[in-house]
Amino acid sequence: MSENQNREVQKTNASAGAAGEPESRPSRRGLFASLGAGAAAAALVNPGKIFAATTPPIPSIRIPKEVTDTLAEATHVGDFSEKGGITGAEVFAKSCKDEDLAALFCCPGNYQIINAISAAGIPAFGGRSEGSMTSAADGFSRCTGEVTACSGTEGPGFTNMIMNIAVAHRARTPLLVLASNVTIATDDREYFIQTGYQQPTTEGLKKYGKRLIAPDRVHEYAAYAFRNLKTGVPGPVHLDFPGEIYRARFTEASQLKEYYGKEKYRSESRPHPAPKDLAQAVDMINRAERPVIVAGHGVFFRKAWEPLMVAAEKNDIAVVTSGPMRGHFPDEHRLSASLSPDAFMSADLVVFVGQYSMPTKQEWRFNPEAKAIRVNPTGEDLGRNWPLDLGIVSDEAAFLEGLASDLPQKKRDTWVGELASARQKYEKRLLDEYEQGVKHSQATNTVHQAVVCKEVHDFLYKGNIDPKQTVTGWGGWTIGNCGARWLRAYRPGQEVNCPYQYSAVGPDLAMMIGAGAAVQLGVGPQAPYKGAPVLVLTSDAGITYSMFELDTAAKYKIPIVCVVFNNNAWGMWPSAVGTPRSMHMYLFQENLRYDKMAEGLGARGEYVRTQDEFRRALKTSYEVAAKERVSTLINVQALKEFTSGKDYPPGNIINPEPSVGALAH
Amino acid sequence: MYLKRWGAIALLAGGGVLLVSGDAPAKLTREDAQKLKSPVAYSKKSIARGRVIFMQNCTSCHGENGKAEGSLVADATDLTSPQLYKSGTSEGEIFHSVRDGAGDQMPAFKGQLDNETDIWNLVNFIRSLWPEGQRPAVQEDGK
Repeated sequence: MSENQNREVQKTNASAGAAGEPESRPSRRGLFASLGAGAAAAALVNPGKIFAATTPPIPSIRIPKEVTDTLAEATHVGDFSEKGGITGAEVFAKSCKDEDLAALFCCPGNYQIINAISAAGIPAFGGRSEGSMTSAADGFSRCTGEVTACSGTEGPGFTNMIMNIAVAHRARTPLLVLASNVTIATDDREYFIQTGYQQPTTEGLKKYGKRLIAPDRVHEYAAYAFRNLKTGVPGPVHLDFPGEIYRARFTEASQLKEYYGKEKYRSESRPHPAPKDLAQAVDMINRAERPVIVAGHGVFFRKAWEPLMVAAEKNDIAVVTSGPMRGHFPDEHRLSASLSPDAFMSADLVVFVGQYSMPTKQEWRFNPEAKAIRVNPTGEDLGRNWPLDLGIVSDEAAFLEGLASDLPQKKRDTWVGELASARQKYEKRLLDEYEQGVKHSQATNTVHQAVVCKEVHDFLYKGNIDPKQTVTGWGGWTIGNCGARWLRAYRPGQEVNCPYQYSAVGPDLAMMIGAGAAVQLGVGPQAPYKGAPVLVLTSDAGITYSMFELDTAAKYKIPIVCVVFNNNAWGMWPSAVGTPRSMHMYLFQENLRYDKMAEGLGARGEYVRTQDEFRRALKTSYEVAAKERVSTLINVQALKEFTSGKDYPPGNIINPEPSVGALAH
Repeated sequence: MYLKRWGAIALLAGGGVLLVSGDAPAKLTREDAQKLKSPVAYSKKSIARGRVIFMQNCTSCHGENGKAEGSLVADATDLTSPQLYKSGTSEGEIFHSVRDGAGDQMPAFKGQLDNETDIWNLVNFIRSLWPEGQRPAVQEDGK
């Protein structure tokens, strides 16, 4: 069926459907009934003309006026002096406001809490599914380092968030998970429809959690939450709210227990390295010939990229970033080892700073004989998985500031040369993959993953756009592993590693819509690029889980370019090879049109089958996103066989760790 | 370029070709691979080096013990049972599988392991996972 025929079929189907039609629109049966016999006969001669003349157009997708109107309303933070006092929900929202909660992503449910938080002026976004909203909050935090919140209703809304809470947990995201949970009075009675014991459900997926059961302790537990979110190694905090908590009313502060401000319920004090530990670290680094700093989450969350740069440059220390975000050390820097994984085997000292998810020794591409220093804000994890030569309990920023101050100036030309040589080799390898991808694309009239990724790379980093401007994220299997090798990070918070540590398929688009919200607001390291579009590389399998959030992106004018690598299958389809009656479970219908689905959700759709078409679509989509704040989904038709190296080498390659594209730690 | 920096080709008594090389040919058939002989001795040093490479590149599919008990892919080969190998058990065939990929799921590692000596070290480590009676005899380092 041709493209035009396709359009005609869709037009006809849309015309026949009732959804969205104004009530005044006549049905065909009604139309005939209202016509005289002669007119009806005439109509039968040329029915298209009659319908064209009498059928009103299908209403356009549009943003309700209430959306823009309510977003423009004045903020309101509850106050004890108001008539009727302040509700428990408003007390909690006030605490969130005082703690500079950066954003809330939610679906309706837990009404009093989300309403109070939004009314208080905290940027709030309502979406289509609780799980995706959880990942949107996660994405916002991954590119800003700020505490964000997500919320859903009790029962189904809450359980819909579980996978995404787990994703945030593995990434150590400071995520405040909120959910309503019926009432204390009806506990254990299976009363009504949404009862569930929430806290046991998030066991193992959170840093701290509590079902609030005393209305007068609502502020106290907000303090518990933010103490955990803003101190030590971050992680999700989960609070569930029975009705007695958020509906309680207070007319004076004395009715609340432990009601005092953040300066009294938590401390900004941070552990500094003991002088002898710092001196030993300086000595070990200075005596090493090929030292590497692994700059993990903690460096980003503590915004310690400046002392990291000073320390590295002062002593010519190689730096590789790790964690669910990239950019806290720029990829193009001569000391960056993120594109030089082959150099790691000759490193003789590895300094882990804020590496919260530790690999086991030899899991990473370091010489097993290399000495190791690990710096962590808490002591209980030191020595886990990786034997230490020196363990230091310290805030990451304090340690790096100490290094920047105490390290002597030193040049390591041989080491720096080896890094450059390894980077050159790595980039040559990428270009070789790309050349193979071009041949595969031309031979199949589809687009190979390496071609997609090279085009994105050239467009974002080698064209007219400031290479530092665009925040990117990646997910999926074949496209994700490839995309991770081609995406770059030149400044803090520029790249989000969506599947980090948990390998979830699906949060990618939602996570990047959250990141897009942060860019629109210009939060933290996104401030210089406020308003820029974001881009996500994902797969047809992955897009399934959060595609409806294109509606959310459109509603809030969060511009995103979403590249869907459509290879008609789950990336793991080779796992069915050789087993009878299995492959059908791994495949989708071929040639599905995700671009059309996107159009139905209020975004633009582009469909491409060639490299040139993709290049043009990418340029147009980015321009529309930048100028009109409209999102686009680019459906890139590919083949599932590109995952396998059997017929289309090199196939899917799992990236070495640590480096760009590291997935597991 | 079929013969890339080819070291030596020795005629076998049976009329076959024994391929002894520093670098193996860029393209290999299964039959070619069967004839390949490792230039790296099956020694403790080589096995130890191969283990490091294995841990950094292979464990996500084949597991730390080589038994492929993980869930990332369905049909990764249990490397401890040579009778289960799908693409051959000669040292050349294992080399070929690692360097050029095998089946639908095993990717080619020639991009990531472009030093062929390391691939031969890995081959030696893989063979060290076999049941004792099936392993080659360990040679002295340096031979």
